[in-house]
Amino acid sequence: MSIQQDALATTHHDRWEQLKAKLGGWSLGAYGILAFAFLYLPIVILIIFSFNDSRSVSKWTGFTLDWYYKMLQDNQILLSLWNSLFLAIVSTIIATILGTMAAIGLERYRFRGKTAVDSMFYLPVIIPDIAMAIMLLLFFNMSGIGFTPWKVNFFGARLAVPYSVIIGHVAFNTSFVAIVVRARLAQMDRTLEEAAQDLYANSWQTFRRVTLPMLMPGIVGGALLAFTLSLDDFVITFFTSGAGFNTLPVRVFGMIKKGVTPKINAISTLMLVVSLSLVVVSLLLSRRSSDGDSVQMGF
Amino acid sequence: MTETYAVELRDVVKKFGDVTAVNHVSLQIRDGEFFSLLGPSGCGKTTTLRMIAGFEMPTSGEIYIQGERQGYRPPNKRPVNTVFQNYALFPHMTVEENIAFGMEMQKVPKDEIKRRVDEALAMVRLSGMAKRKPKQLSGGQQQRIALARALVNRPKVLLLDEPLGALDLKLRKAMQIELKALQEEVGITFIYVTHDQEEALTMSDRIAVMNNGIVHQVGGPEDIYEHPADRFVADFIGETNFIPVKVVSLSPEIVVELGTGQKVKAGWAEEGLTVGDKAVLSIRPEKMDLLEPQEVPQTPSEAIAYVPGTVTHLVYVGTDTRHTVALGDGTEVVVRLQNIYVGEEPWEIGETAVVTWNAAHARILKE
Amino acid sequence: MAERLRRHPELQAWLVLALPTLFLLVFFMAPLVIVFVYSFLERGKYGGVEWVFTLDNIRRVFDPLYFKTFLRSFYIAIVTTIVTLILGYPLAYFIAKSPPSRRNALVFALMIPFWTNFLIRTYAWLTLLRTHTGLINVTLMNWGIISHPLPLYGNDFAIILGLVYGWLPVMVLPIYAALERLDESLLEAARDLYASSYKAFRKVTWPLSIPGVVAGSMLVFIPSLGAFVTPAILGGGKTLMIGNIISNQFLGAHDWPFGSALSMVMMIAMLIATLIYFRWTKKSELMS
Repeated sequence: MSIQQDALATTHHDRWEQLKAKLGGWSLGAYGILAFAFLYLPIVILIIFSFNDSRSVSKWTGFTLDWYYKMLQDNQILLSLWNSLFLAIVSTIIATILGTMAAIGLERYRFRGKTAVDSMFYLPVIIPDIAMAIMLLLFFNMSGIGFTPWKVNFFGARLAVPYSVIIGHVAFNTSFVAIVVRARLAQMDRTLEEAAQDLYANSWQTFRRVTLPMLMPGIVGGALLAFTLSLDDFVITFFTSGAGFNTLPVRVFGMIKKGVTPKINAISTLMLVVSLSLVVVSLLLSRRSSDGDSVQMGF
Repeated sequence: MTETYAVELRDVVKKFGDVTAVNHVSLQIRDGEFFSLLGPSGCGKTTTLRMIAGFEMPTSGEIYIQGERQGYRPPNKRPVNTVFQNYALFPHMTVEENIAFGMEMQKVPKDEIKRRVDEALAMVRLSGMAKRKPKQLSGGQQQRIALARALVNRPKVLLLDEPLGALDLKLRKAMQIELKALQEEVGITFIYVTHDQEEALTMSDRIAVMNNGIVHQVGGPEDIYEHPADRFVADFIGETNFIPVKVVSLSPEIVVELGTGQKVKAGWAEEGLTVGDKAVLSIRPEKMDLLEPQEVPQTPSEAIAYVPGTVTHLVYVGTDTRHTVALGDGTEVVVRLQNIYVGEEPWEIGETAVVTWNAAHARILKE
Repeated sequence: MAERLRRHPELQAWLVLALPTLFLLVFFMAPLVIVFVYSFLERGKYGGVEWVFTLDNIRRVFDPLYFKTFLRSFYIAIVTTIVTLILGYPLAYFIAKSPPSRRNALVFALMIPFWTNFLIRTYAWLTLLRTHTGLINVTLMNWGIISHPLPLYGNDFAIILGLVYGWLPVMVLPIYAALERLDESLLEAARDLYASSYKAFRKVTWPLSIPGVVAGSMLVFIPSLGAFVTPAILGGGKTLMIGNIISNQFLGAHDWPFGSALSMVMMIAMLIATLIYFRWTKKSELMS
């Protein structure tokens, strides 16, 4: 080919490449929008139908807040809500303490048998819910702990929360907290602790004045994650609560089995709002965190 | 009479598993001295510093600070403070709180803390920064705060682990001068770790040159530079030529034979060499000169070496020109001549030249 | 005492690990052992167990009746993983290629659905997919597009859809993390060396994103295999996956040993699958 032909071919080729690139970027963007629509649409529809003026969850007839009133007057639902909250708070506190201890032990030290202990802490995260649920069921049955409840007065509500459920929640939450705190710990500058020691702080002072404050965002992140997981849990709660104890998810499951009405949508919307608020809280906290590191719930 | 040293290391060894990081090191560091540990990465200088600070414990040997045996004492019980390579300023505390930290741990009364913090800030000329957070400061400023935080505790010895490494060249040079001035003003013993020989030579009263966990030589800057004790020191510090030679005689005079058979005298030989050994003659490029063959005197003094060769390379570096000369047996030496000529460069590639140096500057070292 | 602690950092480690380790040993490892042991016991007359050793339970697991469900669960889990990967990779790519300021917001938007209750999200699909009263069928029939309702519920399709929907964010995140870490200059170097966009992707981007793909796949495959809620709600009342069968042994049939055996076999199968997957991806990593 002559030079002119060559140059012309190149320009055409370039223009084609440019067009391809533009199309590519376009379609990627379009795909992104579609994907997010896919993720959000079911949830949005769910919320919409919680206001539906009929028993249908698929044919819109009109706007009403009836289902929300019904929900708020249903004592069973309120009881299960309190149960969920109490369970989440108690198990989060315990799991956060245990998980933080585990994170420090695993991240900061080397010792014989560490791999075994390390792996053990990862198991609850990897194992599917159903397996863990029946494991615990068998254990509580066999060990005689059974499903004895902790009778407690929680903001005026009289609750009977089985210890087995609390233990079950702590069992899976501890590992999650450990993972989050450990990630934070790994990121931390070790020389800061050395500097503290160099400046005459003993182990406890170093921990309290330097390590802990720097670790706080991770601990809070882990706690929020544990709280969310506890509120959302269905399978483990379902199998470890014996008879008669309901958290909100367990109650919803029962309701679905009996019949689908917008009341379930209303409860679902309530749960969505709670989840969302937790997420917003974690975001606000991470913004305020001292060195601007983001607190990432989950991964 | 035994002098009490600021810091003394007696036969200290540090092993990490199979790796020996510090291999039987003994040092005596005097009060008020600016003492540097100099060497390439991995030579053990930082490990040595950390053992003095208490962050590592020796596998064997003893460390004494002001005459007191330290043993297994943790860092928070030692009268030394450290300036870390990455400054290690507490990000969640203000500058003020950072500087005050050490005094708080020592239960110094609040008003005294306030007073000394202000003094420290004034000393490093950052008085307005008390309420700022470290991330709001520049690298140089952070470095000075780290310094202030350490010095405010009035330690007997200050340990500095490559504190200027993260700064750009110009800032680093400025800080070198400041640090040195500070040390002289405050009078504290500084133990300074660096891999930058120019830095060590500029700032130190004495330098310990280390490699592979061993101290090769301890001495003042001039000593280290002009009288390197072995091949490593000669090579690591500045530039040097190594000419392979054979030892002909060691007393009453040191005489060696070059590859060409020519015999030259030398001013010093490393201990342990015997007649007949293969060795190297170490001579610095700036100590050498080039003469035209006809300029060599008829009866050359034995105190000066005259070795003929051919110019093979010329590299102009501004203040001087490096002339690479190949000697009779092919050995290449570099001669640095200051560019004080007027007009054309006096030497050309391919020209025959006679390399000359004062025998006193020649040192015979083990290979 | 404090001196001893300092001299032996191992003691410090055990001190701080004692409580959590003990907790997990008692309330996790012990239950695991119990499940293992129960698999080999006989079922008691009135529920519970007889302490008699038997291999019957294990044999029953491989009975065609139950084994079929195992295979089906594998099938569903594999398809779910593949579909999630196909849908998730471009999404991860999209987020990674977005301007940095928008990326965090997009990741956040991705995670919000994931942080909401799984049960609720599955329920949402129930209301959409049901044959006669589901939103999709009702709307399509109303608009006259179809005359008979589509079979979107009570079958493998519904379950896979539910699982893909639930675990998509989990597939996207690790892939996004791997892509985000990708050095732009590597791609520029590839282009400089005459690679087309497609080649650059295949030879540079894809291989470097494989660790993310592996992580994401594992995180989707395992819970999909052990799914319980999704088939329970979207499966139309029929027992479709291994998780449901296991559940039945404990809630309905009261055959604990058999339930334990099923559970144990499931967990071992997951372990093997994980190992095979890792081995396989290590090989493909080396080859590409």
